Amino acid sequence: MRILVVEDELKMAALLRRGLAEEGHAVDVAATGDDGVWMAQAADYDAIVLDLMLPGLDGVSVCRRWRENGVWAPVLMLTARDGIEDRVAGLDAGADDYLRKPFSFAELLARLRALARRGTPERPIVLEVGDLKLDPATRQVWRGDTEISLSAKEFALLETFMRRPGDVLSRLQLLEHAWDYAYETRSNVVDVYMRYLREKIDRPFGRESLETVRGAGYRLRKDGS
Amino acid sequence: MSRLPIRIRLTLVFAAVMAVVLAALGAFLYVRLADSLDERISEDLDARRMALTRVVVGGGDVDPSLLAGAEGLARVIGHGARGPVYTETGHALLLTADELDAARTRSVTTDHDGYRLRAVPVADKVVLVGDPLDDRQEALDALLAQLLVALPLALLASSAIGYIVAGAALRPIEAMRRRADEISASTSAQRLPLPTAHDEVYRLGVTLNEMLERLDAGLERERRFVADASHELRTPLATLKTELEVALRQPRSAAELEHAIDSAAEETDRLVRLAENLLLVARSDQGALTVARDPIAVDALLAEVAGRFGRSAEAAGRIIEVEDSGAELAGDRERLDQALGDLVENALRHGAGEVRLHAVEHDGFVELHVTDQGGFDELFLPRAFERFTRADDARTGEGTGLGLAIVAAIARAHGGSAHAANLAGGGADVWLTAPKLLNDPDAAGRDRGSLV
Repeated sequence: MRILVVEDELKMAALLRRGLAEEGHAVDVAATGDDGVWMAQAADYDAIVLDLMLPGLDGVSVCRRWRENGVWAPVLMLTARDGIEDRVAGLDAGADDYLRKPFSFAELLARLRALARRGTPERPIVLEVGDLKLDPATRQVWRGDTEISLSAKEFALLETFMRRPGDVLSRLQLLEHAWDYAYETRSNVVDVYMRYLREKIDRPFGRESLETVRGAGYRLRKDGS
Repeated sequence: MSRLPIRIRLTLVFAAVMAVVLAALGAFLYVRLADSLDERISEDLDARRMALTRVVVGGGDVDPSLLAGAEGLARVIGHGARGPVYTETGHALLLTADELDAARTRSVTTDHDGYRLRAVPVADKVVLVGDPLDDRQEALDALLAQLLVALPLALLASSAIGYIVAGAALRPIEAMRRRADEISASTSAQRLPLPTAHDEVYRLGVTLNEMLERLDAGLERERRFVADASHELRTPLATLKTELEVALRQPRSAAELEHAIDSAAEETDRLVRLAENLLLVARSDQGALTVARDPIAVDALLAEVAGRFGRSAEAAGRIIEVEDSGAELAGDRERLDQALGDLVENALRHGAGEVRLHAVEHDGFVELHVTDQGGFDELFLPRAFERFTRADDARTGEGTGLGLAIVAAIARAHGGSAHAANLAGGGADVWLTAPKLLNDPDAAGRDRGSLV
């Protein structure tokens, strides 16, 4: 595997380089956040180890920058801090896993292997279909520049569509993704919420992005309009 | 009384005052009514007395009882008559003998057996008129009965209103109490609700909120310190652990192992230094950092510190200079040496150009200055002596971020203070102060000599 280590603590960086190299990995080290940003974009890494406390551009910003620029390599972040906030911020910024310092080197290796197994599919932090945007972390939805306020159920329904743009989803599939078992037999609840959703994301903008596919279900058009 | 809730106490006091006021009002009404009734009777008696007088003076032989009115009575008492005087039926007294005698010379008004009587001398006779008092008594009794019903009702109603008003006035306090009950270390950002009126309760709330603000700031500092300390501890621990684990993952040559052990020892030193610094800062926080008060020649102290860093300065191509001042201070040689060492180390690591050490006597204190030709970020200056603050974010792995905090702690333990500033002509200046040696050294020497 080719691994990028972004760590400003020189000794730790050298140790990670040596330890990972001895396991047969190719390792590059970036000592600052800015270096990390361009290095990850310049080469196709199988995994990235990212320290959250960096001088200048911090780890969370670095991670967000990568995801915005289409760097989808799995990111394992390291933090020496206690706070849950740091970990939440890191994961919401697009990191895939975290380890707290001091960590066991064997565990670091195992987690990197696990991350590499998942491959590097696109995992955008903010979902975009056409000019529709949805941020699962902040629970915000936009059509173009206009922010749309959705109820929790409407949000869950839209998120289900936006994770599968262009796919026809049956009522049962929608129920499975956006509702729990208590609603299993009441499939017309989907139609009701589809109407609400259209009222909010299509009607005010003169669009028909949510289509009814006769006898099959519903579909969010790939171009979102 | 003082055990009762304020609301009840306020209501009771209010009710007591109200009872006094209402009783006075009742008494006033009663007396006023009695007065006005008396006045009417008096006017009536006078009118009839005058009519009767005219009859007597006119010598007419009119039956006086014709002038008695419906319920009153009228009599003319002859010259020789002796008291006491009774009604015709004889069952009621009109005038005692003494009163009759008095009435021969002046007007006499008296009450007997339910009548108000007035006897006035006319020529050699006495004219006596009377009015029954039972109407007057009836009116007064009726008033009293009404007052006895109305006043307690009014007292009850006003007490109820007082209770409600007291409750309304105390409601903001109860709201503040409830919120204060909820505030704990984990919700220290909460503040007490303030009433809309800018009254005493509002001012109390503002003051308490300001106190909460200060406590919260202290708590936040403490929290940050713990977070920073844990970060500072985990970083060398992580390096140490990884160093050892990587070394153990496969067979190593002696040289490789030696290198790993060297590196681990280095991290261990860093941890030891950090632990000692943390303990010193903690002791200082508890006010438990004690320092000796030995007489110290400042020039020698500065020269020694400069000498200690001579070689590392030379290696970095830097110069350390000491300016003699001849000053002397009372302090702890080891602690001051440590503080100055930290400052020189900082100047060498983060500063630039020549490092100068000099002392200035000022206002009973000796200022120990360490200057270099670098300079501080203006944003860093106000936070310079806080723990775990660094002028640059870069963690080179050497400093603990506690250096200046420790300098400040040592200065405080001496009763002095620590300061950092940029020099007007460019360059950085950090100094700490310690008290000047007060009694001259000869005297100190003699004292010590006499003890031996």
